[in-house]
Amino acid sequence: MDASILTIHPASPEPIYRQIVDQLRRLIAAGQLAVGERLPSVRDVAGFHAINPMTVSRAYGLAESEGLLERQRGKGMVVASGPTGSQSARERMQLLEPHLKETARQAQELELPADTVLRRLKHLLGN
Amino acid sequence: MNAVLRTDDAPMPMPLVAQGLKHAYDGHNALLNVDLELHAGSVLGLIGRNGAGKSTLIRALLGLLEPLDGTATVFGDPALHLTDATKARIAYVPQQPEALAWLTAAQMFGYLARFYPRWDAAFVERTLDRWELPGNRMLAKFSPGERQRIDLIRALASQPELLVLDEPAASLDPVARRDLLREVALRAGDAGATVLFSTHIVSDLERVASDIAFLHQGRLLLHCPLDETKERYARLWLPANQSGAAPPHALSRHRQADGSLSLVVGRGDDDQWPAAATLPGARLDALGLEDLFVEIAE
Repeated sequence: MDASILTIHPASPEPIYRQIVDQLRRLIAAGQLAVGERLPSVRDVAGFHAINPMTVSRAYGLAESEGLLERQRGKGMVVASGPTGSQSARERMQLLEPHLKETARQAQELELPADTVLRRLKHLLGN
Repeated sequence: MNAVLRTDDAPMPMPLVAQGLKHAYDGHNALLNVDLELHAGSVLGLIGRNGAGKSTLIRALLGLLEPLDGTATVFGDPALHLTDATKARIAYVPQQPEALAWLTAAQMFGYLARFYPRWDAAFVERTLDRWELPGNRMLAKFSPGERQRIDLIRALASQPELLVLDEPAASLDPVARRDLLREVALRAGDAGATVLFSTHIVSDLERVASDIAFLHQGRLLLHCPLDETKERYARLWLPANQSGAAPPHALSRHRQADGSLSLVVGRGDDDQWPAAATLPGARLDALGLEDLFVEIAE
């Protein structure tokens, strides 16, 4: 992978290091990043997105402590082998849960009927 | 890796320290008891509205003005009496650079290169070209924005240990701004450089700052790591019938026309939000830095 696979929203209330960890978690859960795949260096990510290298280090460190990544001698960070690779549908669904809850909350605030929202979601999912 | 070498076990003096800085212009307070510490390798974003005292604070920190009260030190030297050795470690870009106006840009760079052992001439060439600034033009003939860009190149080329930029973004187009942020970020990371930059464009800070400080009407309202700011503060909205239960401590407090109350609150020492956040009808919204700034500064 290269640094462009990550999307950074500096103005989001979510700190950048969390955005990076969340994206890595999703990319790995979905198998878009394979076990053993090498991550771009801290400097590459920081340079590409013009963000503080310490933020990237912090994200990588957190992802390592969560078992998403592991440090390999001479290669830097790679996607960890083991339980994190290709998660079950249930585990992947859990990653989506907070976003679904947020969508549901907003739909209620807007007083939109559930079937309208569901139809639209189905459409977005390609069905 | 931190490239700043230590010669012994004594702690390195901090790049910038201010204690109890006070200043006023014509009886109007510009700085009120400002304390500030900048750790090596940090990138501090100083946010404040126009007239909040940002430039005054920067000038007092660097010894460019004598405050009415308080002290400032740069790498352990009193700011008002910096040694030449300390000055060589600092680069400062003011909002309106004026020095050496009779030279061409190239002459000015050639002249300064002799004073800085780590001068990066290749960077100068590359960036002049990228930012479309003709090196053979006299400095006095550049527009104010171009002058500031030339001065940013000058500051970065000297590879300083402490880089201080006063509102650098105002003169830059989006491409040049991104270039500058990238330089700032990578220098802090690679060379362990310490950076202080002031701005009222909050989104610039959110990319590169490790810490932020809000300056409002001469007071420092908030000074903490950027990530912490986003995780520890939020907007609490209470409907009119619950507004009596508002927590006593809030960074800002605005009552709306309908009697509802909007507050900026922080997590307590126990990491919990104030109890009022769980009241019926209450709502807690995460805040981006810009929203936080506007809420506090209004």
